[in-house]
Amino acid sequence: MRMPYESRFAEIEPLLARVEKPSRYIDHEWGTLTNAEADYRVCLIYPDVYEVGLPNQGIAILYSVLNKQEGISCERGYVPWVDMADLMREAGVPLLSLEGAAPVASFDAVGLHIPHEMAVTNLLETLDLAGIPLLSADRGEDDPIVLAGGPSVYNPEPYAPFIDAILIGEGEEHLPEVCQAHRRLRDAGAPRAEILRALADIPGTYVPSLYDIVVGEGAGAHGHAVPRDGAPAVVHKRVVADFGATDPVPQSIVPYAQLVHDRLSIEVLRGCARGCRFCQAGMTYRPVRERTSDQIVSAVVAGLERTGYDEVSLTSLSTTDHSCCTAVLDRLNRRLEDTGIRVSIPSQRLDSFGIDMAARVAGEKKGGLTFAPEAGSQRLRDIINKNVTEDDLERATRAAFEAGWRRCKLYFMMGLPGETDEDIVAIAELADRTYELAREVVPKGQRGGISVSVSCSVFIPKASTPFQWCGQTPDEEVKRRQQLLIHSVRNRAVRVHYHDADTSLLEAVLSRGGRDIAPVILGAWRRGARFDAWTEQFDLARWEEAAAEAGIDLRAVAGTPYGLDEPLPWNHISSGVSKGYLAREYRRALDGITTPDCSRTSCTGCGVCPTLHVDNILAGDRK
Amino acid sequence: MSEATQARFRARIRYIKHGRLAYLGHLELAHTIERIVRRAQLPYAVTQGFSPHMRVGFTSALPVGTSSDAEYFDVFLTDYVAAPEALARLVAAAPEDLAPQELRYIDLRTPALTAEITRTVYRVDLSCARLRITAAQLEGALRVIASEGSIPYVRSGKAKTLDLVSTLVGFEVSRHTEAGPCTIVLDTRISNDGALRPEILIAALDRALTPDVEFEGPIVSTGIQELHAFSRYSVTRTAQYVEDADGSLLSPLRAGETTSAPISVSSVPSL
Repeated sequence: MRMPYESRFAEIEPLLARVEKPSRYIDHEWGTLTNAEADYRVCLIYPDVYEVGLPNQGIAILYSVLNKQEGISCERGYVPWVDMADLMREAGVPLLSLEGAAPVASFDAVGLHIPHEMAVTNLLETLDLAGIPLLSADRGEDDPIVLAGGPSVYNPEPYAPFIDAILIGEGEEHLPEVCQAHRRLRDAGAPRAEILRALADIPGTYVPSLYDIVVGEGAGAHGHAVPRDGAPAVVHKRVVADFGATDPVPQSIVPYAQLVHDRLSIEVLRGCARGCRFCQAGMTYRPVRERTSDQIVSAVVAGLERTGYDEVSLTSLSTTDHSCCTAVLDRLNRRLEDTGIRVSIPSQRLDSFGIDMAARVAGEKKGGLTFAPEAGSQRLRDIINKNVTEDDLERATRAAFEAGWRRCKLYFMMGLPGETDEDIVAIAELADRTYELAREVVPKGQRGGISVSVSCSVFIPKASTPFQWCGQTPDEEVKRRQQLLIHSVRNRAVRVHYHDADTSLLEAVLSRGGRDIAPVILGAWRRGARFDAWTEQFDLARWEEAAAEAGIDLRAVAGTPYGLDEPLPWNHISSGVSKGYLAREYRRALDGITTPDCSRTSCTGCGVCPTLHVDNILAGDRK
Repeated sequence: MSEATQARFRARIRYIKHGRLAYLGHLELAHTIERIVRRAQLPYAVTQGFSPHMRVGFTSALPVGTSSDAEYFDVFLTDYVAAPEALARLVAAAPEDLAPQELRYIDLRTPALTAEITRTVYRVDLSCARLRITAAQLEGALRVIASEGSIPYVRSGKAKTLDLVSTLVGFEVSRHTEAGPCTIVLDTRISNDGALRPEILIAALDRALTPDVEFEGPIVSTGIQELHAFSRYSVTRTAQYVEDADGSLLSPLRAGETTSAPISVSSVPSL
């Protein structure tokens, strides 16, 4: 028997007094939706706490789209923080949805968002709290269908055994199709296996149980997937061809709790064609599709009226690349004058145009600016195809300090393919030069406010990128280079932050491994791993013990390169960018040859447009 | 200051905090109120300076978990919107459990809510647990606690004292049915020395009624107390007043009114 759909709020209310931030669990926010007439229920879950998950735009879009569907009602769920999770287990209360406070296990379908690899243990924490069997193979006719989707699905193998069907690519058209198909099959009395087999026929749907993993000689280091029962050999991602026709203000919920990003978000464009070779989003969200400036401005006005936010963020992978960026910001500034409402753009382009745009939204208050040169030397920036020159960098930082900014953060990666000690020293030199430039430009009395910092993460090779064959730099070597960087910075005023090598090692394992990693994830979760994305919760020891038990060498999984001809664990998942293009880009990287941005020049042959029958759609000419 | 942002009117609104929304913290509540004002499209005034924001003022913080029938906020407006219309727009823009109840325009120079309000009434509803406690017993225990004059407790690791002499004006215990919950009405005073935190008084009451339970150390302020004598308790702020020079209690909505009509003091608590 499936758990009944009923409110069990009375069971968690006594616990609220004993946890931090009870507002995470109370629902009743402004703008929640449900469909009272529905006979099919789906619960979308973000695998982290409420205030991290609520701002997620993907879930906001799907929540809005599903609740407009005939017969479907969509609710939300988040992972209770450790204090609440432990109390719920002790009290025997299962994971509840927010809107109806009903058991997640009582829904027809549960949709798990996969924002990044480090969320995998929280998928298990979610399923366990909900009382749903952890493995797809162990689920019965009464259990919900467990779906997954989101940015981190281009190598789903490590977590594939926990999921019934994985939706690859953009979900706003795909998820309603999957839910409606499931609803029809359910009403027709189809058994679970038949339902899953039918879902695999919906384009973009990967049903892991229909693929056997072939291992052994010539099968690739972590095996590769071979379809059974007529499931597609390659699952191509879904993409919304007419992005402009989608609702520009899907966000409806205004939370009470203070969030990380507590504001209205308007997605002004989707996709980025700059072609940075390390960047998974840059490959997997193609093609580039812009909304028109009229649509953006009216969406901002309507969204602010509806939500009452005091900040609006124009979001995308590269907002300042929008062909009408100047016009949009000028129109919004006029419109929002004297309202105390701020406009923000998420990242700065590394040239004087980027600074001009940043100045337009900053007003009188100039906090810090973040730039991402990604690599210290021109040679290495050419390898990664970060098409930014030394002159661009200098002009951008000079313009920023002249315009009144005093704090500047430079973002780099370490362990990139082809990186040498000279490239690490070049990071330090670039930071020193930026600091000296600031002292030269900023008037004498204000120099005390100057702050230049370097943030250096560890490069993780990701599936569906030109660097997908590369191994990760060994963690010991990363630690040595981190020390080299710290000792190479001359100016004491320049602060250096770097990412934890342990977390990066695991992220690489989860990005590069195959289905053989699933037992390690299970073992780590059983040893208490959850909220691994939270530094203070993460403990590599649990993972090392679980890996030893499963006979897996974490460092080998992270560090061993794949041969160009070797079958990859994610061979059967495609973003539409062809493997041939990725291989060509990899070879050009090794030769230090850059590739231009197809939204500014001409087609570079990545294959997305012909394969998925889509095109770049620009609202004007890009500068 | 541009014409458009100048404060020319000041509206004071009474609203409730009920149900699950009693669990909102003070900052969460403040942000929510600002969002309600923006959704209501009221012509709010904005502060000048580097980071302009809405000119709005609130009453003193309610502890997380405490409900209220009588919260207030002030919002400064650049244009006049008739009070019934402004109220209707706020109601339409607010969650039901935070619904605005009354709106009046008050003098621009009226002191801030936190400066004006010095009297607060709480209602505490207690469901008895394993003990059979009569209303008379409750009242007796409260009288003993009140006569002691103060309660030591710990908050954020610091030793503090709740001074009942200056903060507790009066109390009344009642019970409608023999087996039903007990209700305590607390009439309290806020001064520069502090306010009465009902949870501390309830914790002291709990200790007084359960002499058989061993308590370790002083009472700790946790926001919501875990009690032995009572299975459940809830606290509601039922009224807040401005205390006149002659000791009469005025509603904050009437306090700054510059009307020629006499201000009627309609709701003095029966304590």
